[in-house]
Amino acid sequence: MSRGPVRVLRLGLRPYAEALRAQERCVEAARAARLPVPVPGESVVLSEPAEPVYAWGLRGGPEAEAAARLRRRGAGLAAVRRGGRITFHGPGQLLVFPVLDLRRRRLPLRGYVEALETLVLRFCRRFGLPAARALPPPFTGVWMGDSKLCAIGVHCGNHITSHGLALNCCTDLTWFDHIVPCGLEGKGVTSLSRELGRHITVDHVLEPFLDSFQEVFDCTLVFSEDPGD
Amino acid sequence: MAWRALRRVGPVLAPRCPRFSLLLLPLPPPAPPLPPRVPAARRLATSSLVLSARKFTDKHEWISVENGIGTVGISNFAQEALGDVVYCSLPEIGTKLSKDDEFGALESVKAASELYSPLSGEVTDINAALADNPGLVNKSCYQDGKMSFLSFNNEYHMASRYHKWLCNSYFFQFNDVEA
Repeated sequence: MSRGPVRVLRLGLRPYAEALRAQERCVEAARAARLPVPVPGESVVLSEPAEPVYAWGLRGGPEAEAAARLRRRGAGLAAVRRGGRITFHGPGQLLVFPVLDLRRRRLPLRGYVEALETLVLRFCRRFGLPAARALPPPFTGVWMGDSKLCAIGVHCGNHITSHGLALNCCTDLTWFDHIVPCGLEGKGVTSLSRELGRHITVDHVLEPFLDSFQEVFDCTLVFSEDPGD
Repeated sequence: MAWRALRRVGPVLAPRCPRFSLLLLPLPPPAPPLPPRVPAARRLATSSLVLSARKFTDKHEWISVENGIGTVGISNFAQEALGDVVYCSLPEIGTKLSKDDEFGALESVKAASELYSPLSGEVTDINAALADNPGLVNKSCYQDGKMSFLSFNNEYHMASRYHKWLCNSYFFQFNDVEA
């Protein structure tokens, strides 16, 4: 298996809920595409959240009072079926949802998460941050020192992956002050802009990110507007 | 290039006879490597009767049935592939499940994966220890880490679909005859 096609959906600036809906359509397409013929059942959804939202995974979210406080600050709240604890998504952040078939790739779940880390590390090296590193669980993610640059949280059902990673490009990091990101006390967050000392938007990183994606997941990217085609 | 290597070792390989000292004996082609085989028994079987009743699905859940009550868990292969399990959610007692329904989820390495019911039935009990100690799934996936108990109201057929796991893994070929 090599160089299989992966459809790329670049949503641009969209609300988080819309990215989740596009992802759902991709997951349906991936499940339906379990055929011997090489249709591009796999996809990767790229978006930038248009509005601030706090999202948490399986292990639960904030208490009612804490949730109300976050809502008062103007953020949405979302419980999603993925690994990882509470984190923030908002403008200036690249959200990447690879919808891949791990059975076809003969990749165990742990190996897939490591591949995501490798992907981000390769991108960081390309982008001028060779000091980025991945840490073992429970600190899964990509870090610059003690600050997390990229959060990872995935879901796998019937060997189809969803959710993925959130890379801070020029995210307003003060949003993270109101939570304990990923439940890790004493750790900070950072962004590409902060680390490189210049304003990096999501559009700047798309090309090098997709190049790294193509390398790490050994695929051919097919650009498309609609997960159904 | 291999022939040059052979030429260097040729005199060693050739029979000890001056007339044939430079004869290059071609080495037989190396045998194709055997597929990697994990040793058949990794642990002592505590109960061969339980072992013989445990059946595995293609999603690496196992079920062993006694007196109409099925015990469900995930295989050693699955717990290794997941990594350290940090969270396990199981259904409420009394939930009725159809075959392949999602019956819970595990979280490990920032990854949430669904669990699918191997058969249809009603949940009669769950392993409450997993709520506080989800690592039991890794440490003892067949004993202390087993997950839930299903009762079966109807006749079920297990022979054809769910057989003792034998070289049928979609990750790679291996023999999993765990205790």
